[in-house]
Amino acid sequence: MELQRDHSKEFEAISKAYEKAGGDISGLLSKDIVSVIVSGNQIIGRNTVDGVEISADIKDNKVKLNFVMKDGVKLNKPIHMCVGYLKDFGEQLLDMNFEIGDNCNANFVSHCSFPAAKDILHKMDAVLKIGKNSKVTYKDEHYHNEEGLVNLDASYFTTIGENSSFDNRFNLTKTRVGNLKILMDVEILKDAKCYIESKVKEKKDDKVEIKEIMRLTGENSSGIAKTYVIAQDNSYGKVINEAYGIGNNASGHIECDEIIVGDGVDLSTIPLLNVKNASAELTHEASVGRINSDQLETLMSKGLDQEDATELIIKGMFS
Amino acid sequence: MLELKNISYEVDKKVILRNISFVFEKGLTYSILGNNGVGKSTFGKVIMGNTGYYKNHTGKIFFENVDITEKTITERAKLGITTAIQEPARFKGLSVKDYLTLGLKIKHSDEELVKFLEIVGLNISYLYRKVDKTLSGGERKRIELCSTIILKPKLIVLDEPDSGIDMMSNSMLKNIIDILKENGSTVITITHREEISVLADESLLLCGGTFTHSGKPWEINSVYKKICDDCNHINNPIKDKLSGVNK
Repeated sequence: MELQRDHSKEFEAISKAYEKAGGDISGLLSKDIVSVIVSGNQIIGRNTVDGVEISADIKDNKVKLNFVMKDGVKLNKPIHMCVGYLKDFGEQLLDMNFEIGDNCNANFVSHCSFPAAKDILHKMDAVLKIGKNSKVTYKDEHYHNEEGLVNLDASYFTTIGENSSFDNRFNLTKTRVGNLKILMDVEILKDAKCYIESKVKEKKDDKVEIKEIMRLTGENSSGIAKTYVIAQDNSYGKVINEAYGIGNNASGHIECDEIIVGDGVDLSTIPLLNVKNASAELTHEASVGRINSDQLETLMSKGLDQEDATELIIKGMFS
Repeated sequence: MLELKNISYEVDKKVILRNISFVFEKGLTYSILGNNGVGKSTFGKVIMGNTGYYKNHTGKIFFENVDITEKTITERAKLGITTAIQEPARFKGLSVKDYLTLGLKIKHSDEELVKFLEIVGLNISYLYRKVDKTLSGGERKRIELCSTIILKPKLIVLDEPDSGIDMMSNSMLKNIIDILKENGSTVITITHREEISVLADESLLLCGGTFTHSGKPWEINSVYKKICDDCNHINNPIKDKLSGVNK
């Protein structure tokens, strides 16, 4: 790990936040793994290995990160992304560009934490291009703040190359959300596969807007997009799942489960299936409502009270 | 142990249970035999206190001499009553281990849990599977039965315990009931199958929402064959066929 000068104290603070978010700090410090630490609008540490180039630039208070993995690089160990903002007010602006070559294996593990936030903006624009015959996973765990306000505005534009697979999981279930706006737009080329999943638990006056788009342009391309939202109190949630069947024999499935716990919630889900090729097939499932009473009563008949039964059911959904 | 006094239940003026009074003795196993639609599952839900059933019936229910008529499903469960419903619910993402231990509230090692699973014909590979649509109805049924063994209830209502379990032999189900009995449970099995009914110590025939006959299972099976094969009075019993069992 190459730690930038004069950042040791900040690293210490951000590593605490990182661990709180579920990250393993030993993973960041190991020399044989790829890792990047972004604190505020600075990159305070990074490490890389042969075949992976990471360059960074800060312009107009925005962190620009370029990540390039050369053809044929297969990393067994995860690539750690630690992103945090330790101040109470302000903006964190990120511009991420990932290029994964052909025949690569890459598993990203990202932890984003904002432990002191009172009113901050975290804005990220990410572009991910995956070459042919590659396998990429991206696990994104967020840890916000129970009292303060985190405004998260993230856009991801991904292209999955021929015969490649991409598995993306976004998770914000441990703390309050704040205001969340996510756009995931994925193009899936020939014989490529995609799985995207978002899990969010919101409460009080949190606001969540998630839009997931799968463009199944390639022949035999396939994709699944799933969203799970648990909403409490007076929170607001709107989930839009779109799938476009364009390539020959393309197949896609979108699914959204939104569970209401309480009376003041405003939740909606909007699925859109658009087929432009007669051989393509798209399906969707969606539900918005309270927890199924059969599930609740099954657990209550084993001795759990309603709150514990609800918690266990939600735990399952977020596992 | 469980005493029912004049239990009646109706929905939209349609009588489902009709003035049932009966005492279930501690440690015995009972079968409640009856055709589809005679009120068997409703009977189980009234005992368990499911939403829409408790408070909505007339009569009283006593469990170990305590009036539980007004108690909720959780309160009854905490007293030692439980049930295994006919079609177990699915739980998205919840592992079999979490389900069996109620989110680790019940302490058992993995080895112990596997031994419980083996009783219902499942193995270690199921421990971390999800209790969702990836399991068949029969597999979920086995897990539900496994859960009841782990809970060691004082009273359990098994609603159609063999439904969905094509390959499950009666001997396996008998073994499950024997284990429950050895653990001190009173077992009430709800069934429309004579082969399942004979696994009990005592049997009751439910017809038109009330118990019309009680006795040894083979006796009740015989009555069942005689009067229920051509019975077309579901929830509307012919009076001269009722003997009005009260114990």
